[in-house]
Amino acid sequence: MRRLFGYEERSAAIFLAPVLAVLMGVAVFPILYSFYLSFFRIKLTRPNRTPFVGLDNYLDLFTNDLFWVSVARTVTFSVVSVAAILAISLLVSLLLNQNFRGRRVLSTILLVPWAIPYVANALMWKWIYDSGYGALNGILYQLDFIDKYMVWLGDQDKTIFLIANAFVWKEVPLATILLLVSLKAIPSDLYQAARVDGAGVWQRFIHVTLPAMKPGFMLVLIYETMMAIRHFDLFFILTEGGPGNASHVLSWHIYVETFRNLSFGSGAAMSYVLALVTFALSYTFIRSLGRKV
Amino acid sequence: MAGIRFESVGKKYSNGFHAVKDLNLDIRDKEFLVLLGPSGCGKSTTLNMIAGLEEVSDGRLLFDDQMVNYMPPHRRDVAMVFQSYALYPHKTVFDNIAFGLQMRKVPREETARRVQDAADKLEISHLLDRRPSQLSGGQRQRVALGRAMVRNPAVFLMDEPLSNLDAALRISMRAEIKDLHHAMQTTFVYVTHDQAEALTLADRIVVMKDGVVQQIGTPDDIYERPQNTFVASFLGNPPINYIDGAVEVSDGETVSFVRGDLKLKFAGETARKLASSNGREIRLGIRAEDVDETRSSGEDSLIRGKVNSVLPVGSDQFLGFDFCGEELFFRVGKDLDHALGENVALSVDLSRLHVFDKASGASLIW
Repeated sequence: MRRLFGYEERSAAIFLAPVLAVLMGVAVFPILYSFYLSFFRIKLTRPNRTPFVGLDNYLDLFTNDLFWVSVARTVTFSVVSVAAILAISLLVSLLLNQNFRGRRVLSTILLVPWAIPYVANALMWKWIYDSGYGALNGILYQLDFIDKYMVWLGDQDKTIFLIANAFVWKEVPLATILLLVSLKAIPSDLYQAARVDGAGVWQRFIHVTLPAMKPGFMLVLIYETMMAIRHFDLFFILTEGGPGNASHVLSWHIYVETFRNLSFGSGAAMSYVLALVTFALSYTFIRSLGRKV
Repeated sequence: MAGIRFESVGKKYSNGFHAVKDLNLDIRDKEFLVLLGPSGCGKSTTLNMIAGLEEVSDGRLLFDDQMVNYMPPHRRDVAMVFQSYALYPHKTVFDNIAFGLQMRKVPREETARRVQDAADKLEISHLLDRRPSQLSGGQRQRVALGRAMVRNPAVFLMDEPLSNLDAALRISMRAEIKDLHHAMQTTFVYVTHDQAEALTLADRIVVMKDGVVQQIGTPDDIYERPQNTFVASFLGNPPINYIDGAVEVSDGETVSFVRGDLKLKFAGETARKLASSNGREIRLGIRAEDVDETRSSGEDSLIRGKVNSVLPVGSDQFLGFDFCGEELFFRVGKDLDHALGENVALSVDLSRLHVFDKASGASLIW
């Protein structure tokens, strides 16, 4: 063995080097550096005193009431959003799998929310929910469902669900497409065989359609859960965690801790907790559900 | 029970495609009927109409004198084997076979017993816990058969069930399907584009083209007495040879086929049927195997030409033969030794000539 790396390996290394350098700078280094920071008490208001505190940043989290509130809010938001996304995208994908006039137009329109950036989506819903000139108030008022304009996002009981609604609206198109792909892959022979075997519409759905969609469901479940747990934009633009702490989710908690309280050490520690939870959840989903697919 | 009758049945799709036209067909109880034809001829559509998977657009479809045009598949007492096998991928072999019984609310023990029975017959009992993805093509085929068998249907439908198998397996499965028909004593309707399958399996064959029945008959009828050039060409390997020419009746009784120097004398019944057709333009059909070099029955049976190609196929050989610029293929004994370009004379079996109208392609003798 004259050379450890042949021509192809060396040229590959040269081509990859620029990308790797950029990634090192903007991804790998910050990730590692924030891990390092999470062991120090760093507050930018006291830039000269940054003592090493070991695991204190992590341990403090668990005694912080607001942290637990944010966990509860995140769980509510994620469970509601993901359940709604799964249910709606299942119905829409079943609809789009039928042949009817205007199906192509409808599919194209359906993709619009997907194409809208998160911030634009958030601003749009901010207008829709607006207490003074919002479309939601306008429509409900004209239809006589309400007799005066409401401050929708100011209602503690409704805020998180209204934000979830905006999130679901944005996420359903992608989830639908993922499900539609698994629907389209079902051979028509299977339905014919099931009909000859005596299965009715509902039984064909249970015995042929649903099992075939399992991989699609898995994908949507994992992806959307990860998106929901970490979601930030809507909370930042619509409510800033309020009213009170009604929409104070984990990602918002981290933002406040890091960039408003300027406490980089504990902010970094929380980010790591969030990342770890996300990873653990995905891993559990894949292990427990993936096996049955 | 289970005679099936098509009365002027037609199938038109919403895009205007006329898949089956004016089909009249009587399928007898316990018969093995094969629908044969090239792809797009309407044979699968016909099968699907029997299954109830396709609606009948015109005419009446009857099961034992009961009209079933609007009867859904599960009430028809039919079972079907699909070309793709259509096994439920997430169910075990056992559940695949049992599914039809479960849907019909057959008691659990009864289901288990019947599935086990079918699996034993098909020699797949050791596979009952597996998933279709863990099976070979031949095993999947057996599971598909089992799923149909276990229901004890009045009609057994098969849509090209063997076409996804490799050649050797296909031939052995043919024998098994024939045995299955014997054992089950029920009506089989079988769709294929493979002439050999049709000839081996069928009690009767229906040859179709462009949605129209070309001929219905026993394998022997279809092969020996084709009613038109389409049927004649569709069966036979290599395919039948055609030579265009005319009928010549000389001194009132000798009836011959004439094309340039070639003159072949018709025999027996054929000669009698063509006796009044002097001068008629016809297309003569000679099956590849209906020539011989050793037989010499005089000048009136010889066809002369130049050897273009010699293709040995093991048991015998195919001879490509140039006759007046047309390529003919004959099947001759392997011991005959011909060089390319050599001029040869082959003796035609005059009793086995096929005669078709040149314009319509319809047979003039059957």
